[in-house]
Amino acid sequence: MLEIRNYSKTYGEGKKAADNVSLTVESGDIYGFIGHNGAGKSTTIRAVVGVLDFTEGEIFIDGHSVKDEPVECKRVTAYIPDNPDLYENLTGMQYLNFVADVFGIGAAEREEIIRKYADMFEITDSLGDMISSYSHGMKQKVAIISALIHDPKLMVLDEPFVGLDPKAAFILKEIMREMCRNGSAIFFSTHVLDVAEKLCNKVAIIRKGSIIATGTMEEITEGHSLEEVFLGDAFREADHE
Amino acid sequence: MLSGRQTMSNNLILLRTLLLSTSQRNIYRYCGDKKKRGKIIGGLIGASLIYAMIMAYCIMICIGYGATGMIGSAPVMCALIISLLAFLFTFFKTNGYLFNFREYDMLMSLPFEARTVAGCKFLYMYIKSLPWYLSVSLAMMIGYGYYARPSFLIYPVWVILAFFLPVIPMLIASLLGFLIARISAGFRKTNIIQTVLMMVFVIICFSLRFIIEDIFRNNKVEATLEKTSEMTSNAADIYLPAKWFADAVTKHSAAGMLLLAGTSVLLFAAVFRIVGNSYRSINSALRSHAAAKKYRMTGLKEHNVVNAMAFKEYKRLMGSTAYTVNGAMGEILAILLGLITLIIGFDRIVSVVTANAPFDHAILRPAIPLIIYFFIGMAATTAMSPSLEGKNYWIIKSLPVEMKTVYQGKMLFNMYLTMPAMAFATLCICISAGVPVIDTVLYLIMGVALCAFSTAWGCVCGVKHMRLDWENEIEVIKQGAAVAIYMLPNMFAVMGLTVMVVFLGMRMDHRLLTVIFILIATLLAVLSYLRVMTLSKRN
Repeated sequence: MLEIRNYSKTYGEGKKAADNVSLTVESGDIYGFIGHNGAGKSTTIRAVVGVLDFTEGEIFIDGHSVKDEPVECKRVTAYIPDNPDLYENLTGMQYLNFVADVFGIGAAEREEIIRKYADMFEITDSLGDMISSYSHGMKQKVAIISALIHDPKLMVLDEPFVGLDPKAAFILKEIMREMCRNGSAIFFSTHVLDVAEKLCNKVAIIRKGSIIATGTMEEITEGHSLEEVFLGDAFREADHE
Repeated sequence: MLSGRQTMSNNLILLRTLLLSTSQRNIYRYCGDKKKRGKIIGGLIGASLIYAMIMAYCIMICIGYGATGMIGSAPVMCALIISLLAFLFTFFKTNGYLFNFREYDMLMSLPFEARTVAGCKFLYMYIKSLPWYLSVSLAMMIGYGYYARPSFLIYPVWVILAFFLPVIPMLIASLLGFLIARISAGFRKTNIIQTVLMMVFVIICFSLRFIIEDIFRNNKVEATLEKTSEMTSNAADIYLPAKWFADAVTKHSAAGMLLLAGTSVLLFAAVFRIVGNSYRSINSALRSHAAAKKYRMTGLKEHNVVNAMAFKEYKRLMGSTAYTVNGAMGEILAILLGLITLIIGFDRIVSVVTANAPFDHAILRPAIPLIIYFFIGMAATTAMSPSLEGKNYWIIKSLPVEMKTVYQGKMLFNMYLTMPAMAFATLCICISAGVPVIDTVLYLIMGVALCAFSTAWGCVCGVKHMRLDWENEIEVIKQGAAVAIYMLPNMFAVMGLTVMVVFLGMRMDHRLLTVIFILIATLLAVLSYLRVMTLSKRN
């Protein structure tokens, strides 16, 4: 579903934010992407969803190249950023309607989907209010609903659990599992290692722009906890420095 | 690839949403806050007054033309005014509207083609600024109709073409903004390069008027410039869309009409094909910040709270191309004016500006601080900076400092920005004009008083009309109520005061006059400062 091949991104004078990143996310995978702050997670994710331009490497979504066929890729992808910048002066419903229009979702279908997820996240009553009046968590919920409107084959999330209340975080995890059961793929970054360990079947660890470990959860942890593996690597690196 | 129909449909969806997302009607409808609703109505009344002022000004131009029998020049003048306004408005807005806007990630992650996003952003900018251009166009049409008594057919043609008139200059400005962004994107310090290039371009535009006048003078075509009508015709010969418009309305030229409409549409398609091709790479560069990660902790300096606030304002100004270009352009122009006057000479500059009018240039001396203030007072960072806090407002609100300290910091920064420029320009012009030392000192004091007034008055407007819920910083830098309320009375008052100083200076002791003006400016500055202190207690 998602294939990143030798992707590199350089900022300024030679400083690589992502260096030769390669990974593959299959249909049905919940793929965790973990790394410390500034490791290159968001840079990679923004390139995957077609927001960030890149020259080195290739990224394919459902067989389409992000570079050459960005619109085809985006038709099957949904992106939820860590801090969604939605149109503050639209109501929640106006924003969701906009996204549904863009994906050409029929009126009855969009109403059903929006009602279903808005009820799940308990924000149906607030959909008529301006987004500017929403809390961070409510904006995040609207962004999640907008991402689910077109039943994406690939959902890319950047720190999706930040700002969500425990119930909403639980619902989101359930939605992610449900999507994967239905053949979609999830690729998300997180700092919450417990969540990654319980939710993901595959994981990649990125450090200073390079992938240092990738594989199934069992291959990566080898009987240890993900936290031990991740922090062990981090401490070893600190000792080297 | 998307089909043509899909692209058109996506264009409409996106354009409609962009307009809805900043529609005051939408905010009024769904916002429960009575204060906010009141502000919307106040803003509407304010905007209507400004449109009425513009229309009155344009009708006065037509009355002037009508009285001197030159009403035939009105259509060309109309086209030139709109083109100039459209060009300048767009050029300053390109970075912020077309590139580097806040919701870029959200829009680009949706299945839109890059050129659809860029094109819709342009159309959004066009529709939002259309009322300005239409108020000029319709007022001049009424004036022209009254004096020229043309056939009825002219009115529908004029109205239709009024919608096309701003398109070409807006596209040219967008293309220039695109080229500047494209060049800047290749550098590490993208923001700084972009700011410098934009400023250089604006300075060239300002200088162009003098250069062209000088060329015309040296080429002995002075005779052709004797009449304003001939001057506008000359301009229309250079800028063809103005000629096409004038031909369409005065000569019923179908070719003129088709050329204006056709060129606008074709140029739009061409420009956004070019822009679309590198849209993602430019935005990626503009929105990315290189990180050297080489910092080594060294001795840190302490600042008092007000200075720390002022330093924060400095970093905010330097971090945004739109803010720097709009906030510091006046100071740069004032410094350039000082340098140019020093090099070329005060008398020569006055001769160029007044077209060699026969009068003693010494009578203009008392107006020197006001002339410099015309540039420096164009913008005050204090009118923009309270709103520019935007979503970061919580930072200053959560600090253990009173709001008056925050505003004092903002005012101190504006003084740091304006005073050196004012002092430098005043000294340069005074040296060039041979102004006696005592008068030079008085002008310097007057300059400082004017800077203080600009700073404090800007802060009154900025605090009173603070708007934190902007989508794009351009909304508060160029279009904010605070900036409009600060700038318009300020500029009109300066123009009036300049005339008054020159007029009174011929009838009374000009030193006494300068002292009176210093006292008035100081009084106004103090009153404005006290008002800021009062407002700070409410926030």
